[in-house]
Amino acid sequence: MNRKIILAGALILLLTVIVLMGWDLFFGSQGNQENPYAYDLKSLKPGDTLQVMYEETQQILPGFSVIHGIATDKSGQIYIAGDNGVEVLDSTGKRLARFALEETGRCIATGSNGLIYIGIQDHIEVYSKAGKRLNKWKSPGDITIITSVAVSGDHVFVADAGNKIVYHYLSDGQLLKQIGQKDPEKGIPGFVIPSPYFDLGIGKKGELWVVNPGRHTFEQYDQDGEMITSWGKATMAMEGFCGCCNPSHFAILSDGSFVTSEKGIERIKVYRQNGDFACVVATPDMFTEGTTGLDLAVDSRDRILVLDPDKNQIRIFTEKKKN
Amino acid sequence: METPENDPKINRRKFIANGARASVLIGIGGLAALVAKKTIAGQTVWQLDPAKCIQCGRCATNCVLTPSAVKCVHVYAMCGYCDLCGGYFKPETKTLTTGAENQLCPTNAIKRKFVEDPFFEYTIDEPLCIGCGKCVKGCGAFGNGSLQLQIRHNICVRCNQCSIARSCPADAFSRVPANQPYLLKESGQEENNNKK
Repeated sequence: MNRKIILAGALILLLTVIVLMGWDLFFGSQGNQENPYAYDLKSLKPGDTLQVMYEETQQILPGFSVIHGIATDKSGQIYIAGDNGVEVLDSTGKRLARFALEETGRCIATGSNGLIYIGIQDHIEVYSKAGKRLNKWKSPGDITIITSVAVSGDHVFVADAGNKIVYHYLSDGQLLKQIGQKDPEKGIPGFVIPSPYFDLGIGKKGELWVVNPGRHTFEQYDQDGEMITSWGKATMAMEGFCGCCNPSHFAILSDGSFVTSEKGIERIKVYRQNGDFACVVATPDMFTEGTTGLDLAVDSRDRILVLDPDKNQIRIFTEKKKN
Repeated sequence: METPENDPKINRRKFIANGARASVLIGIGGLAALVAKKTIAGQTVWQLDPAKCIQCGRCATNCVLTPSAVKCVHVYAMCGYCDLCGGYFKPETKTLTTGAENQLCPTNAIKRKFVEDPFFEYTIDEPLCIGCGKCVKGCGAFGNGSLQLQIRHNICVRCNQCSIARSCPADAFSRVPANQPYLLKESGQEENNNKK
């Protein structure tokens, strides 16, 4: 009798062990296994902050599958460079015109003369609003990667991330000078461009501002290409620029304040003219993690236009108190 | 008197026979080499795809080896040689020095060397690397993604069923041809296929 009980008990025990092993093998805790080496990036990306002074008021869906560059003009029209073309929209997002390019434009700017300047890998193309190509010139250098164009009167400034230099042209393509070329004898350290994000823009008084992303600074240059001043600091905190090389893009508001976008921690912020942090436009939780290439523009009403390549949208942000 | 050994006719026969033997041997050798080459080409090894990797840490904990056969590989062609390297430094590091308190790597497996202002070179000390992927995550988020995890085949013991692959939540592991055993992102692909 005892022997039978012992055998039955042993059998039950054996079956229990087999069931537990099978459960562990097929439904074990591997799915919920904690990572002892976790690097929590989300803690670096706070979404809830009182510093947000803008709200998203509109989204525009461009007619491109991929979008790269955005610009506005004084009348409030919006220009978008996408796959092998350019779209012109009015301030409400209604399409006014569209024309094709032979290659994809990576950056775009408008001049006061109504012309459209497009940076395409190693050259600049100039178009009328009707889409007629008026001029084209190749940028010097062996490994040219044009990442930004800005126009001030008859002067065109082009940022070349490949050669880590800014070219100053006349509007007909005549090269006037090179700005920021590394020259240890003159004490020019050169731009530090670890990745192909190198933006420039024209300030309130027509001055040239260039991002030196590897140093996390904005640099202002005079007409002779000499650096006048700089500001900016590296930090993950909201008041600075994160990662190896930021900001990736910027635009300038009518009062001379800077709107900046970053990669790594996807956020849009405003800095005053003197470089002091002013407020947040968009927090990281508003973007898909890993989004890069958040090009910016400001329109005639100081609305901030964010080109979101991941969502394939132009997202418009308006200051809260102005609503 | 001529002996059979000295007979030129016999020598010619010998020569032809030797030639035939040599031809057969060369043929067999060539065939064996061809078969061996095809066999190696048909073999596969485990590798993880950095494009799918989510740096969950299981490469460090689930390999049958300690430390893991998965190591960080640095694709120099993609590196920005940044001073503030997101794969090397902890976030909000106050001073960019090599102090242990500043380093993201839990085992001090990344070496930082000054090149010229403001550039630094980062190299992986493989025996120290445990394949946790912290640096990979930091580099991918804040840099160019030049730090990537790979199974190092000089360490891997080639389990039939890789225990990391079985637990990988991103399904990043697959078998790849043994003659092209590395899967690296973008510009590093060619550079690292040449690794043994």
